[in-house]
Amino acid sequence: MSDDGGLWLLLMGPAGAVGVYWALYRHYRNTDKSHAFERETAVQAKPVTGSDQKVDEVKGTQRTRIPGDNVHEYRKRVQRIQGDSS
Amino acid sequence: MSNANIPPPPRVPPPVPAYTGPGSPRDVPPPAGSFPIDPATLPKPIRDELQAPDPVAIDTSAAELKDGLNRCPKCGATDIRHKAGSDLLICLYCRNEWQGKRVEEEFGLGAGIDQLKGRIIASGARDIDAAAASLMSFKCTGCGAEVTVNTESTMTARCHWCRHVFGVNEQVANGAVPDAVLPFHIKKDDAVARIRQFVDKRRLFALQAFKEQFTPENVIGVYLPYMIVDGNVSSNVAGQGEIETRRYTQGSGDKKKTYYDADVYQLDRHVDFTVDDLTLESSTERGNLDTRANTNNIINTILPFDTKNAVKWNASYLSGFTSEKRDRDVEHLQPRLEDQLLSIARAQVQASVRQYNRGVRWEQERLDVHGTRWVSMYLPIWLYSYHQPGSKGGLLHYIAVNGRTGETMGSVPVQQWKLLLAALTVGGFLEGIALWIIGASS
Repeated sequence: MSDDGGLWLLLMGPAGAVGVYWALYRHYRNTDKSHAFERETAVQAKPVTGSDQKVDEVKGTQRTRIPGDNVHEYRKRVQRIQGDSS
Repeated sequence: MSNANIPPPPRVPPPVPAYTGPGSPRDVPPPAGSFPIDPATLPKPIRDELQAPDPVAIDTSAAELKDGLNRCPKCGATDIRHKAGSDLLICLYCRNEWQGKRVEEEFGLGAGIDQLKGRIIASGARDIDAAAASLMSFKCTGCGAEVTVNTESTMTARCHWCRHVFGVNEQVANGAVPDAVLPFHIKKDDAVARIRQFVDKRRLFALQAFKEQFTPENVIGVYLPYMIVDGNVSSNVAGQGEIETRRYTQGSGDKKKTYYDADVYQLDRHVDFTVDDLTLESSTERGNLDTRANTNNIINTILPFDTKNAVKWNASYLSGFTSEKRDRDVEHLQPRLEDQLLSIARAQVQASVRQYNRGVRWEQERLDVHGTRWVSMYLPIWLYSYHQPGSKGGLLHYIAVNGRTGETMGSVPVQQWKLLLAALTVGGFLEGIALWIIGASS
């Protein structure tokens, strides 16, 4: 067995302990829960419009995702362009 | 005098505290019933507890409701109560039963959301007058005595001289009287059973003192203040997305590495949408969802309510229950509303960027609010609380049951040493397997 593989296997214990603690803590305390208004509110949306333009290419990266991927993090705010509000 | 007609500058509300904190509401909550670890891999006692059934939520589509007054329409008596488990009011004198009018039809709240322009505020959602007192005095129409009602926590009182019952029905400027109320449907016994079922799923690692003092019969029915908002909005988001074009590996053995080629796209998305009955806490305390300092996220989680069935305000619905008073105005809640509308917009455009299999990084977002409609409402919640002593005053844990749907959520204090012991046991077991594998392969 290689040193690398052995090291990963040795991390299994601490990682398992942290995982179990974290999962059970959240099961009891439910600190990660809130009203899922994105899914549970009645929303009537017109079809989404927009444009897609190829601007660049990435070659030979080892990243599996785009840096700063936030497509699922609806609640993380990004730079706000001021619009109308009433 | 040309200056005489210039309106005074609008009052600037105090800054709203940021709704941040670990867990909520910045993190999109996980789907209901999901658990991050496969329970099959856990020891049997933990697995059994995790897989025990959850309290079931019931469907509460109520039938068409009819009119209600504070006096019994049949005999004129004032001893009126809400009939548990229904939207009915019942006269305790002649046993006559009747229903309140649904605000949805009465005020046309369900229609024309896509035509909304500007800000429409229902009379019960108007700005709170800071000078208005919580204590209100009424002259009893039966005997002339002065009766005081503290609108911080109750909306009805009985004249101690002639037994006449009062309800605060007039929309006073202190924010205590909303436009509508959604009566309790879930009875106390049902709420107690749901809380018991919820806690039974979380006993193994619960704080010993909590288990010893657990008396769900002490649950309290409380009406909490909310703003129900309809909105007609547009949103734009812009960012970059990547599509994988090639995947290859280089090197061999331990040095083997995977590389990716991808096309980068500049994305723009626009969506017009309407939201119906978005529910916002209109009390400063309940709106603070910082999970490090409180467990209000529990009460937030049991939203939404079937607000379509809310009836016109009648204080008799609150008889026997406590209530909390609204202390936030529309202007205070506007940033929170815009934040939630932006989140909804981001969720709406997600389906249109599915082809970007290496993800999308949204960089800019814009919201145009064309019109909103605000209605204040009292919503029914069964609340069980347990105060866990600790530093900085400890922590108040809530277990809340939605008074309409029965959805139950709670925070059960944990016995840290037990939880640590379980985690270390599982960790030690895994470490033992790891050492065994290493030993066997070398």
